[in-house]
Amino acid sequence: MTLVKLRTLLAGAAGLALAAGLSAAPLKAETVLTVLTAGDQNMVDYVNEYLAPKFEAQNPGVKVRAAGTGPGDGGSQKIYEKLSAEAAAGAAKWDVDVAVIHQKMAGQMVQEKMLSAYVGDVKTGTLASRDSARNALGTDVTGYVLPMFHSQIALAYNPELVKAPPKTYAELAEWVKANPKSFGYNGIKGGMSGVGFVTGWAAANIGDATRLEKGPYDAAMKPAIEKALSGLKEFNKSVTLTPGNAGTLDMLNRGEIAMGPVWVDMFYSWQADGRLNPAMKLQLIGPGMPGQPMYYAVPAKAANQEAARKFIELATSPEVQADGIVKRFNWYPGIDATYVQPKLDAQTWAKLFTDVKPDELASKGKPFPLSGYFTDIMEAYERTVAN
Amino acid sequence: MSAPLPTEAAGRPAALPRSRGGDGAPALPAARTGPDWLWGVLLVLPALAMVALFFLYPLGLSAVSAFQGRDGGWTLANVVKAFELYSLDMAFTLAIVLLSSALVAVLSVAIGGYLTLGENRVAVTLLRWLYRWPLFIPFIVAAQMMRSFLAKNGLMNNLLIGGGVIEPLQAASLLDWRGVVVTFVWKQTPFVALMVAGAMASLDRSTIEAARDLGAGRLRILAEIVVPQVRPTLVVGLILSFVTMLSVMSVPMMINPNSPTMITVDMAYRINAHGDYGVANALGFVSYAMAGLVGWFYLRHGVRQGGAR
Repeated sequence: MTLVKLRTLLAGAAGLALAAGLSAAPLKAETVLTVLTAGDQNMVDYVNEYLAPKFEAQNPGVKVRAAGTGPGDGGSQKIYEKLSAEAAAGAAKWDVDVAVIHQKMAGQMVQEKMLSAYVGDVKTGTLASRDSARNALGTDVTGYVLPMFHSQIALAYNPELVKAPPKTYAELAEWVKANPKSFGYNGIKGGMSGVGFVTGWAAANIGDATRLEKGPYDAAMKPAIEKALSGLKEFNKSVTLTPGNAGTLDMLNRGEIAMGPVWVDMFYSWQADGRLNPAMKLQLIGPGMPGQPMYYAVPAKAANQEAARKFIELATSPEVQADGIVKRFNWYPGIDATYVQPKLDAQTWAKLFTDVKPDELASKGKPFPLSGYFTDIMEAYERTVAN
Repeated sequence: MSAPLPTEAAGRPAALPRSRGGDGAPALPAARTGPDWLWGVLLVLPALAMVALFFLYPLGLSAVSAFQGRDGGWTLANVVKAFELYSLDMAFTLAIVLLSSALVAVLSVAIGGYLTLGENRVAVTLLRWLYRWPLFIPFIVAAQMMRSFLAKNGLMNNLLIGGGVIEPLQAASLLDWRGVVVTFVWKQTPFVALMVAGAMASLDRSTIEAARDLGAGRLRILAEIVVPQVRPTLVVGLILSFVTMLSVMSVPMMINPNSPTMITVDMAYRINAHGDYGVANALGFVSYAMAGLVGWFYLRHGVRQGGAR
């Protein structure tokens, strides 16, 4: 009996010592730069495996600690909740130095004055001139964010089973009717590729699609949005619903579906890793499917502002954008392509546009709708399609 | 998220006060004098504080905020929206959990019955050794296993095709509501069977022997002699399973995240995608209502059972 007690005591002490050791360990470095990133696992891998070692080598004494907060807008929501709790508690310094967030949350955090306007203070601040570097789903974010990369949703298909892939949403609806259960997507609760497919459907079937992108927001659009989504209920009866972004690719690879919306970067990365049949192809359908950047942001009261700016400067430099973002992780660059292309060989650059050509990307790659409309579309989906 | 915790927490309060009352009665006069009494309170205080701080307070807060708008004013809008968007999911949740409970009841009675009445010693030993395994596997691991087991081109269908039971074209994915039910039943049956088998083992065997002497078959003994006597235990086990399954998010999230789905998934979605705690809490409120109803049964049952002893 006493032996057991002694053992429990020892185990407890060992546990405490371990916990103390773990929490104390990173403090040995002079500065710990905390990077929180929303998004799929590949984002965390990018920071941990590529960016952090590079930054630590250039800045001795600084240690990068990166953590992922989960896929989709939910990941950004968690970062927001952490920071807003620290703000509400009146903390003088917040323990997040660099946040990688989605567009919807970037707008909200700028409006709530939770981000620092750092872009003017970094050398690479002028390299991103695309509209999405200044405007996040209707909110002016100029000066507060730099895009880490752009990504795009497109339909992945198995060319052995689909000889002539549909080119528009209307053709897709016909195709699905003729080939029941061969098209798969992940609804709106299993990741952004399904969400993007649905917002694309709304834009394709609503009279005034530019209004969804450019605004202004008007709650009176709700009935029109519901009407635009009404065809999806019928459509959903002939599709396979997949469990998540990765679930769609998995089912495509196992031959359980023949087509489905995916993130272009994930598609290429899976092919590069040998997790997806290299014969699979992509098709960007009209009138357009959405894409989005992820943003680098610095919280307003980040403890290590200086180091955070340096980190982002490295991450948005043409070299890193070329080698890390495009070559290794298959994303479209966050800064302007003119600065990135010269740093890459022609073959790597061309690989980025194998299936989706640059002009297609320009004409059919759309932003997500304004955040007000975005919420309306999601709720209309739940009200009319899912319920 | 793992099963044993809530059930343990829920199971204890019912059992503890009773045994305390019985043992403590003669010692009471001594306990009343001075610091001993104080010690008792002090010993209980940390546990009470834990319950109050980490259970009662959040419960109250979530119930209150189900009826508050984003501006802090009182409103029914959250509840209205919850029913408007998720009424189908609420019905789906109730149906899934009820169906799973029913299947758990049948299987656990079958397992307990065979352990009590089975005549083949090898089979009884084997079953006794095997049936508890799922107890030690967390829901999320079970869900991940089922994801590859029940998929269209998964292990189960491959086995069936390999064994010549079905044709490759007949293979269908069970990763929808059926997958959720299969996982729940697989995971919860051992828990109820453990309780039921224990109760059956402690029965007065003379009733069983008497029935056997009068020529009753084993099935009839199980249905008419054994099950009626262990019914209170069976009901309590099923109620605890019901509440546990109601609270699981990992299984529907991993197997069937699309509509209709269980309201735990909807709650997570409201918070993660919309930051909308109001509607999430309103859904939580519906969940408490379902759990509260069976909780009421449980208490009534517990009281009646206690009175009979």
